[in-house]
Amino acid sequence: MAVTPAMSAMPATPSYAAAMPFVPLSMVQLREMARINRVDCTNMYMAAGNGHFGSSFSCVEILTALYFSVMRVDPANPDWADRDRHIFSKGHAAPTLYSSLIRRGFMPAEWMHEFETEVGVKLMTHPSRRYQPGVDVSTGALGHGLSIGVGMALAGKMDRKDYRVFVLLGDGEINEGSVWEAAMSAAKYKLDNLVAIVDRNGLCVDGRAEDVMPMGPLKQRWEAFGWETFEVDGHDIPALLPLLDVLRNQGNAKPRMIIANTIKGKGVSFMEDVRGWHADVITPAQYACVVDELKEPLQ
Amino acid sequence: MTMTALKPVTTVPTTAEQCNAWIAERRASYALKPARDQFGESFLALAAEFPQLVAVTADLMNATGLVAFGAAYPERMINVGIAEQNLVGVTAGLASCGKLSVAVTYASFLSLRAIEQVKVDCAYNGMKVILVGMAAGLSYGVGGPTHQTYEDVAVMRAIPNMIVLAPADAVEMDKALRACIEQPRNTPIFLRLGRGPEYSFNAPDTSFEIGKAITLRDGDDLCIVANGAMVFEAMLAADALALEGVHVQVQVLNMHTVKPIDRESILDAARRVRGILVVEEHSVHGGLGSAVLEVLDQGHNIPVQRIGIQDAYPPIGPTFALRASLGLCAENIVVQAKVMLNRVTL
Repeated sequence: MAVTPAMSAMPATPSYAAAMPFVPLSMVQLREMARINRVDCTNMYMAAGNGHFGSSFSCVEILTALYFSVMRVDPANPDWADRDRHIFSKGHAAPTLYSSLIRRGFMPAEWMHEFETEVGVKLMTHPSRRYQPGVDVSTGALGHGLSIGVGMALAGKMDRKDYRVFVLLGDGEINEGSVWEAAMSAAKYKLDNLVAIVDRNGLCVDGRAEDVMPMGPLKQRWEAFGWETFEVDGHDIPALLPLLDVLRNQGNAKPRMIIANTIKGKGVSFMEDVRGWHADVITPAQYACVVDELKEPLQ
Repeated sequence: MTMTALKPVTTVPTTAEQCNAWIAERRASYALKPARDQFGESFLALAAEFPQLVAVTADLMNATGLVAFGAAYPERMINVGIAEQNLVGVTAGLASCGKLSVAVTYASFLSLRAIEQVKVDCAYNGMKVILVGMAAGLSYGVGGPTHQTYEDVAVMRAIPNMIVLAPADAVEMDKALRACIEQPRNTPIFLRLGRGPEYSFNAPDTSFEIGKAITLRDGDDLCIVANGAMVFEAMLAADALALEGVHVQVQVLNMHTVKPIDRESILDAARRVRGILVVEEHSVHGGLGSAVLEVLDQGHNIPVQRIGIQDAYPPIGPTFALRASLGLCAENIVVQAKVMLNRVTL
């Protein structure tokens, strides 16, 4: 495969499974990891020809916080029974997850060069547990993740284990009725080992999320469903960390919902909050602009 | 092998009327057992043996026979309310953490309403889950088309790696449930069951192996392939055909596993008999009959006749009368067999 400009611009990557022993990153390192994540996504999308830029960039800080500070995982043993679980329910932003898993040491860095490029490659538009170590659940069809998270959290309770389950949902995704079925069951079974995060970037494929399907006062809605809810700037890592990193089985008997207010396309001026960048082709000129804009971590 | 509890034959039928009377008398001599009662008993017994066994249901704990299990093991009985998509997702999540999780609801809702969760959460993710579809076929005949289920096998069969089972009676249901639990692959299983009283004819020592059809009766003239409640009707028909003046020897194959189907049994029958008659309580589109034809689609020149639900909404009515009205009964199997063998014309 020919080396594209996208690949040569790729920053140095830690070798596969060499990230252990893991020490949670400092705030400065987390911001740098978020920057690297956006560059990785851009490179993958450049090689593929197009991609879900908006949705991928809106959840970068959330995944960075999870994989490089909060979650108890072991890249050398991705199926470790006592690990924290993460379900990337808004599956179409997969490159953000791939970058996190690769930089954390779950998957070989070379896989990033093959995103969507050929038949049979390991990385495709939506994450897959079949092909990708570290992916707990294959996703892509929206509205599935929270139910699976409920099942995992229930199993944790039954087995008296202290792992936590994190589910990242898109704000458009929660239009799906199955999400609210899951919300009810999580409250019924008092799953305080379950943390859901809504990536509230406010844009769907067809326009403003509130125009496509008004979800109203989201925090109050989840509260009414029996969840402990929080609202936070989803790009503010220092604000995200304490909300995500709650005690395991904290004992307040409520599942935890974090509404993370984010900006679709965050970090790239011409993509921010622009509907068309939900999924689009990036030209070489635009690519150069993106890489230039992503020279420094977001503050 | 013949059916157990054979009653003495009072008359040897020689006419079609006598044949039907003989079938009715024979049918009435067998015990009936509600499918949901058997499922509940089997599940409770297995729960003691397998501590990881967990049941998930969608407000059908009572209707699927799980009350005793729920009382004995409340922490292992999850009821998600009337929410089948969540039912299947939760079941997959439990399985991913090592539970032997079983989703139990009516087949119609499991196979249609929650089918994307079945495909993605269970099958694509490689989860070993047991999806119990109760009240399948016409076993809830008075429920009408919302509860009658004649698409489930076709839908489930199309999903890669899915195992599809349709046991014939209470004894076989018990064995099938154990086989599901002991099945080693990380793949979902759809277990298709009835609901109310069904005839029970299998001996308790009957073997059950996923993917291996059971030859209940031997014969070289014709082979009847059936599963679920239709196996009993096929056996009645085969016995009647042997007795009636025509002396037709019919092989009866209990094809309890629709997928992966036992190709060898079908190919063996195709080499020996003059015709294959498939009987299923399901649409003729995509069910057992289609699966049999898929085995025979390359150069096997043998007539295949399918008895099933045609491409129209069946009427509403009590299970056995409804089955009979649609030809899903021994009496019609006898007629269709004779047609296939050119003994009569319709």
